[in-house]
Amino acid sequence: MGNTPKKMKSVSQKQTREGYAFILPAFIYLLVVVGYPIVYNFVLSFKDLNVQNFKLGTSKFVGFQNYAEILTDPKFQLIFRNTIIFTVVCLVFQFSVGFLLAIFFSKKFTLAGPVRGLLLIGYMMPMSVTGLLGQNIFSNTGLVNDLLSKIGIAGPEWLVNTHTALIAVIIMNCWVGIPFNMLLLISGLTGISPEIYESSALDGATKFQQFRYMTLPLMKSSIAATLMLGFIYTFRAFDLMYIMTSGGPLNSTDVLGTYSYELSFTQFQFSKGSTVAIILFICLFIVGLFYLRLLMKEDEE
Amino acid sequence: MKKKAISVILAGAMALTLGACGSSSSTSSSSSSDVVTTGATSTATTSGSSANGDVEELSLWHYFDAADGPMIDQLVNEFNKENPDIHVTATFVSREELMNQYTVGAVSGELPDIGMVDSPDMASYIKLGVFEDITDELNDWGQLDKFYAGPLESCKDSDGKVYGLPQNSNCLALAVNMDLLKKAGYDHTPTSAKEFAEMVAATTDASTSTYGFAMSAVSNEEGTFQLLPWLCATRDGKKGSVSDIDSATCSEGLQMLGDFVKNGYMSKEVVNWGQSDAYNQFTSGKAAFEELGTWQLPTIADDVNGAFNYQVVLLPTGDEGTTSSVIGGENFGVCAGSKHKEAAVKFLEYFCSKEEEKSWSEGAGKLPTRSDVTPNYSYEQDAFKVFQEEMNSAMARGPHAEWPTISEAIYTAAQSVMVNGNTAKDALKTAAGTIDPILKENPLPAESSTSSTES
Repeated sequence: MGNTPKKMKSVSQKQTREGYAFILPAFIYLLVVVGYPIVYNFVLSFKDLNVQNFKLGTSKFVGFQNYAEILTDPKFQLIFRNTIIFTVVCLVFQFSVGFLLAIFFSKKFTLAGPVRGLLLIGYMMPMSVTGLLGQNIFSNTGLVNDLLSKIGIAGPEWLVNTHTALIAVIIMNCWVGIPFNMLLLISGLTGISPEIYESSALDGATKFQQFRYMTLPLMKSSIAATLMLGFIYTFRAFDLMYIMTSGGPLNSTDVLGTYSYELSFTQFQFSKGSTVAIILFICLFIVGLFYLRLLMKEDEE
Repeated sequence: MKKKAISVILAGAMALTLGACGSSSSTSSSSSSDVVTTGATSTATTSGSSANGDVEELSLWHYFDAADGPMIDQLVNEFNKENPDIHVTATFVSREELMNQYTVGAVSGELPDIGMVDSPDMASYIKLGVFEDITDELNDWGQLDKFYAGPLESCKDSDGKVYGLPQNSNCLALAVNMDLLKKAGYDHTPTSAKEFAEMVAATTDASTSTYGFAMSAVSNEEGTFQLLPWLCATRDGKKGSVSDIDSATCSEGLQMLGDFVKNGYMSKEVVNWGQSDAYNQFTSGKAAFEELGTWQLPTIADDVNGAFNYQVVLLPTGDEGTTSSVIGGENFGVCAGSKHKEAAVKFLEYFCSKEEEKSWSEGAGKLPTRSDVTPNYSYEQDAFKVFQEEMNSAMARGPHAEWPTISEAIYTAAQSVMVNGNTAKDALKTAAGTIDPILKENPLPAESSTSSTES
């Protein structure tokens, strides 16, 4: 109480300065490592840089030409469709199965811990290993078709058929995604106090009612965070397809990530590659904004 | 509530970055597993004299990983011994990774002094400015005329400037399982596409899941490499070419392969098979015929292991008695910005000298790039003779800076025939829609391919 206003002001000013000093390294880091490449990519996507004019330095700004060409290209449309299907299907499966497993393993029973840990093996594998596994599991004479033939079903030519290749890739991605979702959701579940379940049980709530009116609302922010991370993780997929199918056959498993890479690093159409990368970025950015709004709304409540 | 959400985010973000680290070590950062630097005798003289500038330190990046892996180390050691003032260090970088490094290096300038590159890709990297113009140095050397024109062309830009030397060559021929052929009632190998197609049908046996033919039609350069002989064949006296990809000749060739798949004479999985997968099918007796690469000769006897008799013959791609193939091989160039250009050129001249070309070809199972070299192979002599003869009918891919885009159009056309059952004619018309505008702007060099390789 004895502080004069002036002194108070200087203290808060000092605090503000310290605050800035603390976030400065992170800010610079983000600026250099994240900001610069994004800006560079933006600039690139409005030019016509390719193998022919790279060394000559004669590339020029072409406005929205790259975007117009890419967006009207049937190949891009197919790849965009693949990306959306891949993301949505993966998200639905890995989230719902992951949630069920999370609830299951949050129960205290013998071996719950070790089995939960074992489930994480799929997630801990590098994606390239998962991709190679997928190649073998889904080859014409692979594990899946072998098992199917045992029960008298002639399995499809998974990785050769343009309709089934994406399904095979989705299954392999869920194999990794389910434990990932489970892990995040368990951390949310353990935060809910068991006492509220006890008291609601005394009030005569059924298991379903407990789940619907207690677990779900209390998990809302965990669920939103898991879904958003899952979306980002899945939408920008690259290594799985790159290793397992190289995007084929006939681009049926190509996604934005692999397409952007192919344009830039195989065909040296740098500006077109950047354009695809920017489209990928914008999609993720929108989802990020959506999530932020959700968080802020929750805060106000 | 918010705190919890943030903690979940952080946990997830951490997990993501961990994942990213895991994958990047295998792809981008060439730090640990990908790169094996060979300790090419770092003698005491090296460290001592580099300070006063006596020894020039040169880096060489390559992707030799088979029989040729140890050979490059040995060769570098010998060169270092003979040239006390130069010290070359050879580093293995996986092929994919090396190509990415060139693209990134074109911007950042971080390149080795000497780099290895697959011949059809060289034109693109020259155009990107990855390699140094060494025309004058090589002209002074006076041995450029000893190289076969096809491989040497792939080291030049459109103005005829030379950026490197072709170090080894290879092409494709046909491997035949003689036992399966005999079982199908034939006592001779095919000499025309028509006869070949009959034999492929006759040797297919669904009951033992044996296919008539195995090749690679995968969606990358390997696929194009294996497809081109059949597209650019001689049919009815006319030769197919990439600049006229929607011609009847090309589409008949592709249609034949498409029909193989449709009729079950060739596995549909060829669209996912690399060349080593096709080779494995053949050596395990699952395919009567296979499109074989020169580099597979050192191992074929061991891999077949006496299970059946095999023979290597010219690819019967078209009219009776005609053949066609594609040139493959690796080039070495001096990278742009190297401070040791002269020393690097000196190394290239040593590497591609008459003597080294001979021992390399014999040891690694490759074909020499020089007309004055006659290797004496101690194994598969007959097969090597076939490959050497096939070389005379082998076409070059490009050289063209936009070859990767052309290549993509070709393998995509083939896949649409094999996977979706489109007609070859339609598929190649689509391919021509991509290829023709590119070639209109920058045409392919005159299709000198075949005759140029003759000495």
